[in-house]
Amino acid sequence: MQILLVDDDTDAAGHIAKGLRDAGYTVEHSADGQQGLELASTTHFDLLILDRMLPHLDGLSIVSQLRQQGVKTPVLILSALGTVDNRIEGLRAGGDDYLVKPFALAELLARIEALARRASGDAQSAGILRLADLELNLLARRATRAGREIELTAKEYQLLEFMMRRVGQVVTRTMLLESVWNLHFDPQTNLIDVHISRLRHAIDRGYDRPLLHTIRGAGYTLALQA
Amino acid sequence: MRRPLISSSAARLATLYVCSIVVGVGLLLWSVYALTERSIKNEMDLVIEDELDSLWDEYDDGGATRLAEVVNRRKEDWGRTGAIYLLVDGQGNRLAGNLSAWPSASRADGDWLNFFVTAHEGDDVVDHPVRAKVLVLGTHRLLVGSDVSERQPVLPRLRQAALWGTGLTALLTAVIGWYFSRRVGSRVRGVAEACENIISGDLAQRLPRDYSQDEFDQLAVAVNHMLDRIEQQTAAVRTTFDSAAHDLRAPLHRIRTRLESALHADRIEPGARRSINDSVEDVERLQRMLGTLLQIAQTESGHLGGTEESVDLAQLSAEIGDLYAPEARERNLQLTVDAPNEPVIVRGNRQLLAQLLTNLLENAFKYVPAGGRINVKVGTHAGRAALIVRDNGPGIPPASREPVLLPFRRLDRDAGKPGSGLGLSLVAAVTRLHHGTVALEDNHPGLVVRCEFPQPAGATGSKAA
Repeated sequence: MQILLVDDDTDAAGHIAKGLRDAGYTVEHSADGQQGLELASTTHFDLLILDRMLPHLDGLSIVSQLRQQGVKTPVLILSALGTVDNRIEGLRAGGDDYLVKPFALAELLARIEALARRASGDAQSAGILRLADLELNLLARRATRAGREIELTAKEYQLLEFMMRRVGQVVTRTMLLESVWNLHFDPQTNLIDVHISRLRHAIDRGYDRPLLHTIRGAGYTLALQA
Repeated sequence: MRRPLISSSAARLATLYVCSIVVGVGLLLWSVYALTERSIKNEMDLVIEDELDSLWDEYDDGGATRLAEVVNRRKEDWGRTGAIYLLVDGQGNRLAGNLSAWPSASRADGDWLNFFVTAHEGDDVVDHPVRAKVLVLGTHRLLVGSDVSERQPVLPRLRQAALWGTGLTALLTAVIGWYFSRRVGSRVRGVAEACENIISGDLAQRLPRDYSQDEFDQLAVAVNHMLDRIEQQTAAVRTTFDSAAHDLRAPLHRIRTRLESALHADRIEPGARRSINDSVEDVERLQRMLGTLLQIAQTESGHLGGTEESVDLAQLSAEIGDLYAPEARERNLQLTVDAPNEPVIVRGNRQLLAQLLTNLLENAFKYVPAGGRINVKVGTHAGRAALIVRDNGPGIPPASREPVLLPFRRLDRDAGKPGSGLGLSLVAAVTRLHHGTVALEDNHPGLVVRCEFPQPAGATGSKAA
């Protein structure tokens, strides 16, 4: 998978590019906004990672110009501006996701994966989501494991549905807060772990094969094996 | 406080102005009337007295016979219109004059008599008012008077004119006063509205001008100049904050990426790994503080702009309560949310309102000891949406309640506990941004944080908070 990283902070960008390459991506780096726009409009990339503040042309202008040219490549905006307004500006300009610096590499990797899957259009919109013997009936909003009904609260169901739609992907705490609770800021207390352990209790307890795994330093994944 | 009868100072001034002009004009017209009345009366009385004097002289010269002759001649010859004469002897018999008999019904006024004389004018019988003076000459009595019906209509007309004049003056000044106070009122309202908008963060707004160069226009020019300065400075502060955010976050970002790269190295000592992990945590803490500080700065200087939506506080509180419920159980705290079933709508930014509530809950989690209670209550109270968080923790002493709302202010007793002293500042900034109020109160024991927000017109919700 080809990724274009446009960031003028070459030192940090170098580390990020290395991290992405270690994760198996092909990365091209540019430190200039204008050059980044030219690269993105002439070469095919699967994902663009754009810093907001860039020399010559800022990240938001690059996105809007690309969108005007009809380029639909998913865009992840990185920014040192992290207030609520800035985030909305970023998404309005045509960005698909917004990540505030500094961030953990694991967070970036999880979001890249999510954007890539979304772009490739994993058609999981069928009525039933399945992982091994765990089944989620989207129409009835019911979950069963090995045919037995699992009692879930409304939020637990939302949490499970979000993860079932991303089987095998790493889902970070921030992603869960954003998508399941619609909160775009990090509370100081780590609230998600408790919710995950309650969900794990609901779906995995009493079964030999655990499906919900914690990925240390990154987040969680729903999969046959961690 | 007692509300004055007329709250607008312009209306008060105008009323005062109307009253004083009406009283002044009334006094003026009344004195004109009184003076005219007196001078008309005096003039006639003087003429009569003059005549009496001259008739007395005739009497002195030639006695009653001579007087009777003169009177008879005068009543025919002398040109005074409406002149009345009568000379009677001791028995009351008429000796001379144009009056048939001594007036029977008369009103005495010293030496003066006021009575009516019936006269035949064609077919009509008319009563003429007469004012006369009597002179006693030995046994004879002489009456000289005048028909006052000629001058009588002047006075009522004058009185009427005075009343109309005063009334019209009152009406005219009242209209002018009303117009004046409305004009002043509307201009003051314009200024007040513009100021409200500016206070709520729209620094681009300016006071309306009419270019008349009057006092209001000059005031608007001066205030607009001031606003230009403030806007420039605010923009400068904002740019400074944005670049500070960028300039502080960039090195933090580099530190973090380097630390993470270091963690990925193949060979790393367990002690070093621990140090790196701790450093990453510190970077996260710094990052969070910086974020909150910037959010406060942006909230304080900003306005809701495009991020405004209808937020249901009841639903938001239920969701956040649900998010924190497991954590509360872990900490052995009893967290309850009392939210009505119907929505409690506030116009605003959902993320900021959510952050307000999470800050209040995290504060409570930090300070309320295990076994304590935390209650979130949402409702409407006198047309305002209320969000109230109560706990039975240590509370905040009354003297410290205002200061802790400022950034970096913490209670001395909490100096050892983790925290940045920014949580409540953000709460205060967010309520201000939403035109609301925040009050810290005593829960006997514990803390009550009461946030109230204005509700948009037409928002439903009836349960009292």
